[in-house]
Amino acid sequence: MSLEGRPVAIVMIEDDEGHARLIERNIRRAGVSNELIPFTNGTEALAFLFGADGSGEVSAKKQLLILLDLNLPDMTGITILEKIKNNSHTKRSPVIVLTTTDDAREIQRCYDLGANVYITKPVDYDNFANAIRQLGLFFAVMQVPETQ
Amino acid sequence: MALSNFTLMRATAAFIALGMLILLGMVGLSYWMLDRTRQSTEEVLITREMRSSLVDLLSVVQDAETGQRGYLLTGEQRYLTPYDAAVKLTDERFDKLAGVFARHGGGEGFLKELKLDIDAKLAELAKTVDLKKGGRGDDAMAIVLADTGKDIMDRIRSLIGERREAVETRLNAAVASQRENASILQWSIIGGGILIVLAGAGAAWALTSYTGELVKARAEVESLNSGLELRVRERTADLQRANDEIQRFAYIVSHDLRAPLVNVMGFTTELKASLEPLQAVANDPIVDSLPAAAEARTAADKDVPEAISFIQASTKKMDSLINAILKLSREGRRNINPEPVNLALLLEGIGASMQHQLNDSGGELVVGKALPTIISDRLALEQVFGNLIDNAVKYQAPGRPPRVEVRARSERDGSVLVEVEDNGRGIADHDHDRVFDLFRRAGAQDKPGEGIGLAHVRALVRRIGGQITLTSELGAGTTFRVKLPRNLRATLEQSGELRG
Repeated sequence: MSLEGRPVAIVMIEDDEGHARLIERNIRRAGVSNELIPFTNGTEALAFLFGADGSGEVSAKKQLLILLDLNLPDMTGITILEKIKNNSHTKRSPVIVLTTTDDAREIQRCYDLGANVYITKPVDYDNFANAIRQLGLFFAVMQVPETQ
Repeated sequence: MALSNFTLMRATAAFIALGMLILLGMVGLSYWMLDRTRQSTEEVLITREMRSSLVDLLSVVQDAETGQRGYLLTGEQRYLTPYDAAVKLTDERFDKLAGVFARHGGGEGFLKELKLDIDAKLAELAKTVDLKKGGRGDDAMAIVLADTGKDIMDRIRSLIGERREAVETRLNAAVASQRENASILQWSIIGGGILIVLAGAGAAWALTSYTGELVKARAEVESLNSGLELRVRERTADLQRANDEIQRFAYIVSHDLRAPLVNVMGFTTELKASLEPLQAVANDPIVDSLPAAAEARTAADKDVPEAISFIQASTKKMDSLINAILKLSREGRRNINPEPVNLALLLEGIGASMQHQLNDSGGELVVGKALPTIISDRLALEQVFGNLIDNAVKYQAPGRPPRVEVRARSERDGSVLVEVEDNGRGIADHDHDRVFDLFRRAGAQDKPGEGIGLAHVRALVRRIGGQITLTSELGAGTTFRVKLPRNLRATLEQSGELRG
């Protein structure tokens, strides 16, 4: 991920703190050392991404990669996805949906809305850890554009 | 209902029977009247014949007398001609009269008397005519003047007159009887007609009422039926909703249970990983001097790894249970896709995929002949029969190579019954229902499994509009019977369930 020296920040929106911790650990194990900014609910994440005025200018000229869970306590991740992809400042930021839902319609909907990757969290932990580690390796070779 | 259907039916029959009776009576009466009329007509004919014979005889005798008188007065031969003709005719006429009386009986005395008188008269006439012819006109006139001939003639006239009067009376009586017959017949026809019309009207009334009752009853049945249909549809919709709710509930519960479970499993693994450096420290001789070194070593080497292994086993178990629930609920939510499925080919495919297991145990799968093509969901059918045949092979009886037979037949209600029969270990009576329950198994627990297969099969069979039952004898074998609609599309359209 446009690695060392380039300030790509990973925004992780995940309500389950245990999952968040496990994701972080496994990404780190893959050698990803970028800044990771965790949020456990949608409201705070939106405030970070779009600022107090909601314009998204706060995210301008940044390189952001967003890890998004769909099941959030205060809203569905789809709302966040929609906002990210409809905002001129954030629309180029890659969004990786990482959730437990494997409903086909849900997956279609996310890609329709502009999700870049959709990953179903594996149920058993070994696969889960493995998937996250591979995702981390993927991050290492991924190009993230700068937002406008 | 005003009158019971039974009463109405009886009334209809009674009216029809009454009409028939009246008709029969009228036929009998007509026949009798016809006979009477025939008798009267005969009587009229007889009496007429008698009357005319009497009149004819009298007139011919009178003709003879007239001819004689003319001849006696004039002596002219031409007066003799009518006389001769009349004399000749007299016998003939008398014979005819006698014939008429002889045919119809009676009058012997009268005929005898009349014959004597006529013969006497003719003798008198002949005698006078002969005298005149012989030129003895005066003698002839003397005989005439003696009035013997006139007396005889008077007697003949009165004899015939009396008889004629009697015949006339008989004739009048016969004509009167004829008239009477005609009027009786007329009235009986009118009366009978009225009665038949009344009986017909009665029958028509009863029939109309009966039909009315029937129509009413039918309308009632129809309205009940449509009400029932509506109720069934409402009930089905309710059940469908409840079912959907349960499916959603199962999905959400199992889905939401997974998230914390991933944490439990994840951090247990982390814990296990963290244990290694701790164990290294605990086993380092350096710590021997510490007071709790022995306990720390026991904890690091035995207690904690044991706890972790229990946690992992339990979470694995829980994970598989949650997965089973998820799978079931997902099956329930999956859109089914009715298409023509050739059961013979489908089973052939299953047999091919199971060939390895069958070969290992020396078993065989026998697919019956003429398995039909039905319209159903292929995936569901594959899973149903795959599971059943897999179970049949898996739970074989010890020391007996498995033999699985699949056959199908059409049911009277238009569905198809597929039977999967095995010679396996069988299922005890008290477990027949239990085996279909989720996470429940029966018999010796010597094969791996979670008690999901048959629950899954039953859910699938229900999903494609079917039913599954089993009969089994412990130690002898089990037969599963899967009843499927021949056309799932039609069944779904009927219940308004076809989606997409």
